[in-house]
Amino acid sequence: MPDVTRKILWSVLAAGTALTCLSPLSARADEQPSADLLARGEYIATAGDCVACHTAPGGRPFAGGLRISTPMGDVITTNITPDPEHGIGRYTEEDFEKSLRHGIRRDGSRLYPAMPYVSYSGMTDGDVQALYAWFMHDVKPVAESPPVTELNFPASLRITMAAWNLVAGAVPPETGDSATFDKLRRGKYLANALAHCSTCHTPRNMMLSEKEDSYLAGAPLLGWYAPNITSSKTAGIGNWSEDNLVQYLQTGHVDGLSQAAGPMGEAVEHSTSHLTDADLHALAAYILQVPAKDDAVEHSPREQVGKAVDTPDIRTGVLTRIDSLDEMDGAHIYDGNCAACHGSDGAGTSDHYAPSLFHNSVVGSARPDNLIMAILSGVDRTTGTLHVHMPGFDGNSDVQRLSDAEIASLVNYVTATFGSGDHGVTAEQVGKMRAQLPKTP
Amino acid sequence: MPSDQDLSADVVIVGSGVAGSSIANELARAGISVIVLEAGPRVDRQHFVENFRNLENKPSYQGPFPAVPWARHPPDQVTPNDYLHTTGPDAEAYQQVYLRMMGGTTWHWAGCAWRYLPSDFELKTRYGQGRDWALKYDDLEPFYYQAEVMMGVCGPDPAREDLGSPRRQPYPMEALPISYAAQQFRKLISEKTPYRVVHEPQARNTRPYDNRPTCEGHNNCMPICPIGAMYNGSYSVYHAEAAGAKFVPNAVVYRIERDSANKRVTAVHYYDPDKGSHRVTGKYFVIAAHCIETAKLMLVSADEQSPAGIANSSGHVGRNMMDHTGVQVSFISGDKALWPGRGPLETNVIDNFRDGDWRNERGAYLVHMVDDNQVDLATQLAISKGYVGRELEEQIRYLASHTVRLFSHNEGLADPENRLTLSATHKDMLGIPHPEVYYKLPEYTVKSCEHTRGLFRDLIGLMHGTDEQWTPGYFPQDHPAGSTIMGTDPKDSVVDGFCRTHDHENLFIASSSVFSSVGTGNITLTVAALALRVADTLKKELAHA
Amino acid sequence: MAADRPCFPTSIHLSTPNAARMNRALRMSRRDMLLGAMGAAALTMGAGRGTAATTPADDDAGVAQFMALSQRLTDRDALDPRIGHALYAGIVRATPQRHDQIQKLHDLMGGSTFGSARELARAAEKADPAFKDLIHEIMTGWYRGVADQKVVVYRSALMFDITKDAIYPKTYAAGGPFYWTRTPPEVALPKGEPALSPSKFVVEPT
Repeated sequence: MPDVTRKILWSVLAAGTALTCLSPLSARADEQPSADLLARGEYIATAGDCVACHTAPGGRPFAGGLRISTPMGDVITTNITPDPEHGIGRYTEEDFEKSLRHGIRRDGSRLYPAMPYVSYSGMTDGDVQALYAWFMHDVKPVAESPPVTELNFPASLRITMAAWNLVAGAVPPETGDSATFDKLRRGKYLANALAHCSTCHTPRNMMLSEKEDSYLAGAPLLGWYAPNITSSKTAGIGNWSEDNLVQYLQTGHVDGLSQAAGPMGEAVEHSTSHLTDADLHALAAYILQVPAKDDAVEHSPREQVGKAVDTPDIRTGVLTRIDSLDEMDGAHIYDGNCAACHGSDGAGTSDHYAPSLFHNSVVGSARPDNLIMAILSGVDRTTGTLHVHMPGFDGNSDVQRLSDAEIASLVNYVTATFGSGDHGVTAEQVGKMRAQLPKTP
Repeated sequence: MPSDQDLSADVVIVGSGVAGSSIANELARAGISVIVLEAGPRVDRQHFVENFRNLENKPSYQGPFPAVPWARHPPDQVTPNDYLHTTGPDAEAYQQVYLRMMGGTTWHWAGCAWRYLPSDFELKTRYGQGRDWALKYDDLEPFYYQAEVMMGVCGPDPAREDLGSPRRQPYPMEALPISYAAQQFRKLISEKTPYRVVHEPQARNTRPYDNRPTCEGHNNCMPICPIGAMYNGSYSVYHAEAAGAKFVPNAVVYRIERDSANKRVTAVHYYDPDKGSHRVTGKYFVIAAHCIETAKLMLVSADEQSPAGIANSSGHVGRNMMDHTGVQVSFISGDKALWPGRGPLETNVIDNFRDGDWRNERGAYLVHMVDDNQVDLATQLAISKGYVGRELEEQIRYLASHTVRLFSHNEGLADPENRLTLSATHKDMLGIPHPEVYYKLPEYTVKSCEHTRGLFRDLIGLMHGTDEQWTPGYFPQDHPAGSTIMGTDPKDSVVDGFCRTHDHENLFIASSSVFSSVGTGNITLTVAALALRVADTLKKELAHA
Repeated sequence: MAADRPCFPTSIHLSTPNAARMNRALRMSRRDMLLGAMGAAALTMGAGRGTAATTPADDDAGVAQFMALSQRLTDRDALDPRIGHALYAGIVRATPQRHDQIQKLHDLMGGSTFGSARELARAAEKADPAFKDLIHEIMTGWYRGVADQKVVVYRSALMFDITKDAIYPKTYAAGGPFYWTRTPPEVALPKGEPALSPSKFVVEPT
């Protein structure tokens, strides 16, 4: 299964970490940490979604090896299990803290900033300690090294990362016990120091650092678009309630609003669905008070667009021979591939397992990107005992393989019928987005 | 279409259905070069879904699949039809339908994925009837499981519902929750009879599986699952292609060439739709072209070396044709509304008559309570009765909610007289003769059907049924088997226990045509298990070569 | 032979293959007969199907009469005119004399007050047995969505509208996974009488 989140985090900054050069001096603390500390460390690791990047598809947790093609070369994530030879087993807590919060390796060289240490720099000392304890004691060591990242010049020069750091800056760490923070402070801490929402949702400047004045105002990501999640009522999620957002982060789906696919689907599956109710409410409350930032493209609330369409299915009664692979028009492609679950009226299933296509942020968006990507790559999201699945329709689909032209017709039909209007998506556009899909091994 | 010099591979397979494509997938993943020749074209689902909705005669499950002229398949179950010609006292009962196209006939099966019972493989030894297979249940068990994983089979926990075929592993997916109608039927049977209704194992997703979605109960397994929640052979085609197997569509094989000693197959020849002829060479050959087309191909390939056809020194190619020729009744239940047709088509079975000592004189059977949407039929019927307006609507609702349909799979028996031959009068556009089958229902099966009728009468009474309508005679179940029968003695069988032909050491057959007995469960899972066993044999032999 | 079997509750699956063939033959012969009967009319209209002087698609008056008849015969106040238009085109295309019959049946309906579909259908068959086929076609059109033996609408056929509280058209299930385990509505034994004389139920091969 392609794991998009991991690839995106990496490719955004086109960089990688290399924590493999370790000195023989091991300072690993041997005394057994308390169960509370370990539990807290595990929770921090989940909230920070470390596993997303540091695990290869089908590989062992935290053993690294995820390979991402970037314009600068293949980036391969590292083994961060406590194996002394291949992982971070010889890291002291101080070494660990330096790489986590400051992007400085144990040998003193700079990490590539794909490792979101700029976000993690806000982590409290207590949480860093818990995270370290958990990695050292509860993560299973894996004695294997993934291949070494080899980037093209100039990204291959780690010294350039020092310059980047000057520009990107870092957040001073929070102080005190993060568990005792009040709701908004806790929410801010979760959003920034741990869940690193802004890594995807904040657009970046020329230097690839996040634009501070556009915090969470939306940004493109490998074909997907991480939408504006500021409190703007027209462009953001200003019409969502705290409960809506909590439900979304817990299950990846809110009837009549939106559902998570692609990178956000994975963030929900791996990270936010495991957070406590209190933390989700804190996170939601914080996000919903982020100052509104309007958008050049989205001018009406995308979750309120569209309505059920009741058109009789007048037919020709004519059958095609089995070898006919002729391209149908958008309405018939929809009928043949989508209507079985999403309904000919677009209302989805009555239990919302297949969501409604009207009153749906993805179809209502003025940017068709996420609709195209969802059609290409499908939806595959597990939260709790609920496994939501829509097949993709790309060239690997076993259900139906649609051409670029067919997907363009389909998207234009869907947005025109249930959403924000016909955006005139072309086959070429679809082809470019198809090229951004993770490659199946 | 590849140029002719490309057409050589370690293994050449004829047919891309569940058997051919799953062998191709296994071999390609092991790094073995494979060419699969498929008589029919490449196809896609969305057109079949639209064809179904445009089809006036909805129950026609061949209907959405209008054939190509160079690889015809039977149209509906009609006698005479203009492709599969049947004769004999029970000609009507052998109107098998199947599909010739990429992925094969599992495009329109109901997903019933039964393992055979251990006794099914030893019918002669245990009951003195028919034949034994040249393998035992235990030989096939690992391959049954491999097939279940490949297809994605859901089924009951054996600890709670033992279906009689011992398992070393649980089903890959949990059993499908049965419909309200099936629940009521199950309750009635358990309370009012000594029998039981079991969850039918099905190649259908009860959760997302193999990148395909969970079943949403479109009630259209036959003729076309609109969302891919049910297995069909096209998935194995895709997987095999991804692993490097080469599939050639529209390649109608018409000749099997052997060496001068007539011991090894050296090539197969196929026509393209313009009747251009192509030769494909290989080290091993597998015919996996459906029971009827496989036997037809062996006979069509007759030449001076083998005047009776390929692999036919026994004279048994085309003989021993079997099926689960069944009994069917429908009636109006006098009890609560059932609304059949919510959920998948076939989900529940009375399995008490799959085995018993009485098999020494009459065949086994299983019973389906079919969960088929009756609204269209009810409408046609109510109109023909003269209803209009409000009264018509009441009738439709009543008939659609109270109709019950039962049918059975009754065990056929290998009889050499039931025989497939080449039509002397009909040829297709490429000049290849049509298949012709003589069929007389064995007494063993007739007795089984009589027993089934008795059971059905009891069930109608229990459900306070009225207006019962029996299908006159017997009806075909499209589970043909036996045309290249398996056995240990080359004098009276065509293949050995590994599905290798007795006559040609590098020629295998993967099809229900090798079945020595036909049992009661749907045949597909056993076809897939046998095919995977063929793949296993080929992998071992090619590794040593 | 199927034609001699009682027609309730015939299922398509009850037909043996040969019976099915016979049914097809019967249906064809009936159709051939109808086509034969209207041969002269077609000639005088100077053209074949669909190109008659008043093509069905443009026959607004005919469509209006068809809609009025359809509303009475379905006991419904509202029917979709888009479907009506397509059904009318199919029915008249298959049997051009239906054009005049629709007008005559419409006249008959206007001549008295009919309080129900049943009253009209009964009176119509009494007045002219040929109206029975027309009424069957109108019922088949609206409830099954079929005209001229072709699908005109599938999921929008009324048979699915009147059962939508219980069941979905095949391929359009909208209940989500496992909806089928829930209890569907009960249906009382209908008391209503048929309006027309019964016909043989023509089944098709599977």
